[in-house]
Amino acid sequence: MFAFTVARRYLLSNPLQTALLVSGVALGVTIFVFITALIQGLAITLTERVTANGAHVSLQPETRRARVLAAPGVHTEAVSLVSTFQRQQIREWSSTLSLVRQQPAIAAVSPQITGSAFLSKGEAAAPVAVTGLDPADLDAITPISSLLTGGDSNLEAGGILIGDRLADALGLASGQPVLFRTDRGVERLVTVQGVFRTGVEAIDERVAYMALRTARPLFLLPEGVTNIEIRLTDPQRARPLAALLQGATGLRATPWQDRNLSLDEALTAQAQTGRLIQTFSLVSILIGVASALVLSTYRRRSEIGIMRAFGVSGAFVSRVFILQGLMIGLIGAVSGCAVGYGLCRLLAGLTRADGTAALPIAPDQGGYLAALVLTTVGAVLASLAPARSAARLDPLDAIQQ
Amino acid sequence: MTLLLDARGLEMTFRNGDELTPVLRGVDLQLGAGELTALLGASGSGKSTLLSIVGLLLRPTAGTIEISGERVEGLSDDRRTLFRNHRLGFVFQFHHLLPDFTATENVAFPAAAPAGSLTAAMRRRARELLERVGLGDRMDFPATRLSGGQKQRVAIARALMNRPRLILADEPTGALDREAADQVLALMKEVNVEDRATFLICTHDALVAERCGRSITLRDGRVASSQSNPP
Ligand SMILES: Nc1ncnc2c1ncn2[C@@H]1O[C@H](COP(=O)(O)OP(=O)(O)OP(=O)(O)O)[C@@H](O)[C@H]1O
Ligand SMILES: [Mg+2]
Repeated sequence: MFAFTVARRYLLSNPLQTALLVSGVALGVTIFVFITALIQGLAITLTERVTANGAHVSLQPETRRARVLAAPGVHTEAVSLVSTFQRQQIREWSSTLSLVRQQPAIAAVSPQITGSAFLSKGEAAAPVAVTGLDPADLDAITPISSLLTGGDSNLEAGGILIGDRLADALGLASGQPVLFRTDRGVERLVTVQGVFRTGVEAIDERVAYMALRTARPLFLLPEGVTNIEIRLTDPQRARPLAALLQGATGLRATPWQDRNLSLDEALTAQAQTGRLIQTFSLVSILIGVASALVLSTYRRRSEIGIMRAFGVSGAFVSRVFILQGLMIGLIGAVSGCAVGYGLCRLLAGLTRADGTAALPIAPDQGGYLAALVLTTVGAVLASLAPARSAARLDPLDAIQQ
Repeated sequence: MTLLLDARGLEMTFRNGDELTPVLRGVDLQLGAGELTALLGASGSGKSTLLSIVGLLLRPTAGTIEISGERVEGLSDDRRTLFRNHRLGFVFQFHHLLPDFTATENVAFPAAAPAGSLTAAMRRRARELLERVGLGDRMDFPATRLSGGQKQRVAIARALMNRPRLILADEPTGALDREAADQVLALMKEVNVEDRATFLICTHDALVAERCGRSITLRDGRVASSQSNPP
């Protein structure tokens, strides 16, 4: 294509200027790629941290609502549901369990009884959140047995596992008995089977594990469970699965995102900041390309004028400038992507003293296709105005310069 | 003799805001096919303006233009561009070669751009034309590395590329020394004779005018005289 030959010749006619222009575009693309990879990497790291331990979807009975039965002559000011005698529970949990197991990408399912209790030893007492689960499922949701600092994780004999902070607070060690009183008013002496440390203060201070079988009489639930916890092979599928299970079972299904709304907000805010920076880098690319081409049409106006005089169409002239924009954009984008990828790889390889990555960057998630397409299309758009003005040059004005 | 150009009642008044500058006030200009005509007149008399109008680069305020029997003054911009490309050749005082292209590419440009590619046939014709203007040994030189006279000869070859019937030259020798000017004029005469191409040459140079078949002089926006020169 002859217009292409002319465009290329124009770009090569001042190699230094063209190289600077392309570098400018490439720099913008590098920033775009870097920011994208960083934001994505951060999102992945944070999500991983939140989803590494704990359930991805939780099933619970629908909360009962107090209903006001209107009666004539009775004036209602406010109704507050303080306590229900009947403990809410999932009675048909085994059929729910098999339904869950039929779904794709399920990593683990754990039916549980959770409730509140007090542990007391001598004068000291502390509240705990108790999780009763099948001992076989102990590590299904949180890998507790690998976090033990004392004792063992065998819950079959009716013992409990507590966090090390709680153990310290009560002066407990594994093998010792402790008085256990549930919110149902049941009291029993249980043995501390093991002590764990997750590193999360709230858990190490407040959480206790026991066998489902042990929990049943303590919480007065001979058959049902209070909740079913599910882990997935891909946490991102939690939301659709939750919606599906809620529809199929009538239980309340909560995906992990809903329990970490601040994370969701943080990620959204981060993505918005990222988008802002991406937009700015794109806009700076466009301004660079447009101004370079405006300058070029101005410098070449007498050449354009003579072309127009001997009968070259305005369309040909504008094609020459649009093709310049296209080439600058494409070359700038490709080299920017390459440099950006290299930079991200380099930064991702940097580690702190403890061996963890210094920057949570995901080199593969640099938005390369977007960068390529947006930059190239943008450069073409940026060339439209100068191309148009070049095509509209009056040959006489140009020749008489 | 058939008329190649028949322009009648050409008027041109430039307008800058409220200020009107009448330049042509009724010019009739007829050129026979194969004529070589000089256009004379004082500086500012409107020679370049007339050439631009006849060359379809400028629309007259009034008047009609017929080239090769076709009425052209009312053509759309696109048709004018096409017409210039197919039928007209331009040579200006300054060569206006494209600096990023070789002599051959410059000559072939008026054919290659509209066609969308520079074909071997175009290249061949461009080379023939360069041989003809005496630049057979400069064909692949970048335009910037030619002398002033050589550039102007390349410009003439470029004007001839699409075999135009009418070639309009505005002071083609104005920027050249005597020797180069003579070469350029001799070249145009040769093309005029061999190709029977019609030439209209604006000039201040009496020696150039003498060697043209006819001289037309503009004064006060009109044709003041038109005389045949002895061969
Ligand atoms: N765009 C324009 N606007 C206003 N006046 C113009 C314009 N172009 C030309 N003129 C005027 O028209 C007159 C004729 O100009 P033109 O260039 O045709 O003269 P010329 O005969 O070619 O002169 P020269 O021999 O110096 O080249 C001049 O007075 C000039 O100022
Ligand atoms: Mg003039």
